Amino acid sequence: MKVLIIIPAYNEQENIKNVVNNLINNFSEFDYIVVNDGSKDDTGLICKKNNYNLLDLPINLGLAGGIQAGFKYAYEKEYDYAIQFDGDGQHQPQYIEKMIKQMKESNADIIIGSRFVTSKKARSLRMLGSNLISFIIRITTGKKIMDPTSGMRLFNRNMIKKFAYTMNYGPEPDTISYLVRCGAKIEEVQVQMKEREAGESYLNLKRSIQYMLHMCMSIIFIQCFRKKEKLV
Amino acid sequence: MTTILRIVLIIVCFLTCYYALYKIRKSQMQIEDAIFWILFSITLVIISIVPHIAYFLANLLGIGSPVNFVFLAVIFIMIFKVFSISIKMSQLEYRIKNLVQQIAIKNHELESKNKKEESK
Repeated sequence: MKVLIIIPAYNEQENIKNVVNNLINNFSEFDYIVVNDGSKDDTGLICKKNNYNLLDLPINLGLAGGIQAGFKYAYEKEYDYAIQFDGDGQHQPQYIEKMIKQMKESNADIIIGSRFVTSKKARSLRMLGSNLISFIIRITTGKKIMDPTSGMRLFNRNMIKKFAYTMNYGPEPDTISYLVRCGAKIEEVQVQMKEREAGESYLNLKRSIQYMLHMCMSIIFIQCFRKKEKLV
Repeated sequence: MTTILRIVLIIVCFLTCYYALYKIRKSQMQIEDAIFWILFSITLVIISIVPHIAYFLANLLGIGSPVNFVFLAVIFIMIFKVFSISIKMSQLEYRIKNLVQQIAIKNHELESKNKKEESK
């Protein structure tokens, strides 16, 4: 059983070293790949100097494109599981094993590392967005997903192939809602996340509004009309 | 706005939406790009169903006929779209150039490595 941790990194020169060193020193049972998504800072240089396993994208493709590069690598190197793992130190690797265990037991296609299975959501603007997406996924698919925007997701080989080679399979809540409708088995496992350690978040106000508009439009108006694909 | 114009607008909007969704079903269009067309169609459908919006805005801008307001709005949106496509295209060209250059450099590195190994 081979597990690959895909770490997309865009301008993460302050964080990437901590994140990857932690994986190498304490979680060497998992393989990892850093996808440097055309960073403007020294992220790529730091990775090369430290001899990290690196996919260095020459131009910036955006989060979805970067992760897709990781999925292609995972598929070609014949990994059984791939996990999406942020390069900013938010995600904690000690939960990976729990997620894999859950995936094996329940035979799920995707496991979401969720902040809100057993703990409650805090009240903030960001959580309002998360709630709204949860709500529209629930009314369009009937499935309750507590933390659809969580960036920590585990995929099985079948999903790796889909995400790597099909158009409109961005690793975002709208694709999750589509996959639910296709009959994929999606489960959540409680994890804890930290605040980002340093550097700037990608989501500012303008981007957040754009993101919400995109997700709502996509889930309500577009995903419902997509052809249901046979999984497996 | 005449009833017949409103009906034509609604039909055309539905066809636009249908075509965008059809392209998505065939995996020939990205969702990001389809969202614009669907929002655009929804707006036109709303104006066709509730023409008072057009009357109100035409009045506000001092345009005699609400139909003219609708045309003007569509033209503005289209100019904006063409402009943004033009920007996107320049960026794409720049990125392709960048990629080709990077690939050439990588190939050169690989070949010089191979040659060194051969001469050994």
